[in-house]
Formats: sequence, structure tokens, C-alpha cells
Amino acid sequence: MRGLRVMLSRSSRVDHERLLDAARATRSPRPAPGPGDPLASLLRAAAAPARERELAGEEAAVAAFRAAHLTEATDAVTRRRRHRLTVGALAWVAGVAATATAGAALAAVGLDRSGPTPPPAVTSPAAPEPTIGPGTPTGEPSAVPTAPTDGPTAGATSVPPTSPPGASLTPSPEATDHVGPGNSDNTTDRPGLCRAYLAKSERQREKALDRPAFNELVVAAGGAEHVEGYCRNLRSESDPDSTTGAD
Amino acid sequence: MTGELEQLVEAARAGDEDAFRQLYRNLQPGLLRYLTALVGADAEDVASETWLQVARDLPTFTGGEFRAWAVTIARNRAMDHLRRQRRRPALSVPVQELSELAGDADTAERAGESLGTEAALAMIASLPPREAEAVLLRAVIGLDAETAGRVLGRRAGAVRTAAHRGLRRLAVLLDQQGAAGAPGDAVAGAGDVPAGPRAEARPRQRAGLPPQTEPVDG
Repeated sequence: MRGLRVMLSRSSRVDHERLLDAARATRSPRPAPGPGDPLASLLRAAAAPARERELAGEEAAVAAFRAAHLTEATDAVTRRRRHRLTVGALAWVAGVAATATAGAALAAVGLDRSGPTPPPAVTSPAAPEPTIGPGTPTGEPSAVPTAPTDGPTAGATSVPPTSPPGASLTPSPEATDHVGPGNSDNTTDRPGLCRAYLAKSERQREKALDRPAFNELVVAAGGAEHVEGYCRNLRSESDPDSTTGAD
Repeated sequence: MTGELEQLVEAARAGDEDAFRQLYRNLQPGLLRYLTALVGADAEDVASETWLQVARDLPTFTGGEFRAWAVTIARNRAMDHLRRQRRRPALSVPVQELSELAGDADTAERAGESLGTEAALAMIASLPPREAEAVLLRAVIGLDAETAGRVLGRRAGAVRTAAHRGLRRLAVLLDQQGAAGAPGDAVAGAGDVPAGPRAEARPRQRAGLPPQTEPVDG
């Protein structure tokens, strides 16, 4: 009796594996035969092809990709340098953070100069960490496929145990307790963020600014209400042929 | 399929915008559905955060299963989101919002299919989280058990078991709905399967199913 039950359950397990495999694969008219047809059709419904509104974020995602790749291309030359200096950059970021904090404290203490210190002026997206580095402008134009070492930003993501000093900027306190990629907020890509922001609907924009991903924009713009203007500025100066939304 | 995906990833890494677009179209629906089960109505926001990061970190992607990589990012984003939310007053119950979604005006026009998808996803989302995640990663994202296990930080066998349990639960839910009549039609109507005597078609004696089939919050 018990043996029978085990057998039954084992065979249904196999059936289930088949159903799970088939759900996405059989978008063709041929449904998987056998028992559990309602289950199969439920899974197929769940894995049904994209519906239009599910792809509403496409332009924003592509804009982010475009921005990231632009930065990527510009950075190709400085890559190696950047990689070597990841640690230095983190220290630098920490330094800036410390200075900013100290500055704010000073401003709060003394001098009736009210209001926060103005945000650091963002000049152009093509100049990431421009001041640091001894500068070895090797004229390697091609995007070196990260072969020699573990890549430029991978350095930041793939060493979770050493909580970097820059962590104060991007609060993800318990970030180390899950595996895999995806916890690096350090790289700044304001033009990309801006494109993504501008590609959102009015309603989404408001919500977006609550997210840490966009927090940086709020800071850079000097307040949530200035983000739109800031982004439009940034876009017009960095991307003269901007045709966002039209393509 | 996988080979095609790899080519797209390669092209996107080289800066091919269209390839990236294809990746998005390929992955986003599943991602969004998976995220909806995790974070409810905020899934869209978490998904766009995910894509921002995918776009940014694509150069550091070192091969392997692209979908698994992207889903891991999405999952981490979702967990961050839930943590943030836990510090704020709770707002939402995913399952409820899902069924509200199903009633949206814009879904009505695409009647059968859309409703079926929403209803199916709502049922899956009502499973205990582990089971729901296993079913979604396997069936909706299309990962195999090993890869899904890597995303979830669990063994492949554990994923198989969770998915199996989930499906058994779903079968019982379908049974109940079939017996109750109407609601089941939303799901069954979605498929291209001819409506049949589905109440009898399922072996009721599948047994061993724990009694708690109620939706689980969060």
C-alpha cells in the first residue's frame, strides 16, 4: 500500500517535471497530453506570451542600456586604470561623504547661512572620477573584454565580505545575506538614470524618486522637485540629438 | 532557444541595442510575473530597477545563464524592496492586487487570454512562497531545476520538491474551483484545450496533501 503510494507520487513527480518544462516551451498548439490537463493549461496560461502592458518599461530599459553603453565606450580607455583604482575610488567616495557630512555639520553650527550646502556640480557624464589616478592613457580603444582581471565594477560586486567604505552612500545594510550579482549601487550613471526617469509616466516618476536607485538624482538635483529640470538640462547638454520617446 | 539567447547577450554586451531590446522582450514578462508574486503591485518598479542594473552591469556578466543572472538581480531587488517596506507600514497583499489587476479595463479587451494569465498567476501566488517561487522560476521563467536552485540558493532536489508540492496544491485548488463552477473557467478558458469534464479528469486520490491550501500572505 505504502509502496503503491510512493510509486504514485513518484510518477506524478515526473509528470510534474514534464509539465513545468512544457509550460513555456509549448506555446505551440500541441498541449502536453496526459493527466492533469487543467494543471497544464494553468501553467501555460501563467507562461503565456507577453502582453503589451508588461512591456511598458521597454523604452526606459533601452534608454538605460544606451546610457550605460555610452559611458562604457567613453570609459573604455580608462578602464584598466579604474579597475586598479577601485579601492582608491571607494576611499575617495568615503572622503567626499565625510567632507560633505562635516561641511553640513559646520554649516549647521555656525554662520546664519541657512540651508544645505549646494550639491556638487555635475559637469558631464563622460568624466567619471576625473581627478584621481596617475593616468596611463594607453591608447587602447577597444572595449577590453575584462579578461586579464575580474573586470572593472565586478571588483565591487564580487567581494562582499569587505564592507566597502563607500557603503555609507548607498545604504543596503543586510545586502550581504543574499548571493549573486546585483548589489552594486556604487557606479553612478546620472544620464542613464535621467533617461529612465524621464521615460516614466508622471505617476511613476513620483514613486520612482522614493527608490534608492533614483535617490542619487534627488541629491544631485538638490531636491525631488528639481529632478525633472535637472534631467532635462543634463540631457540637452549630453545628448543633443535626443529623441527619447519617439523611437 | 538558449543558444539564441546567448547570441543576444553577446551582441548586447557589444553594445547592440536591438539585441538588448530582444532580451528585454524575452525576459521581462516572466520577470514581472515572478516579481508580482514576490512584491505585488510594486513589481513594475522593482522590474525597472532590475533592468537599470542589468543594463549597467551587463559588461560584468561573465557568461552562464543570462536569465538566471537577471532573475537573481530581480530577486535581490525584491528582497531589498521588502526589507524597506517592512520598515514602513504594510500596504498590500499581493494576491488581492493580482485579482484586482485581473479586473482592469485594459485586460478586458483581450478577454480570455489575459484573464486566464492573471487568474493563473494569482493562484500560483497564493501558494506558500517557496512553492510559488519554484513553480514560477520553472514554468514561467523557464529555468531548469538546477538553475532555479542556484537562483534560490537551494538544491535542485529541493526545488523539484517545492514545485511538485506546489503543483499538487494547485491541482486541488483547480479541483475545488471546478467543483464550484465559475472561477475555474477563467483559467481553463485561457488555454487552447477544449473544455472537458475537468472535475473527473483529475485523480482525486492523489492524497498526501496537507489541508492548508489557503493563500499565504507575503
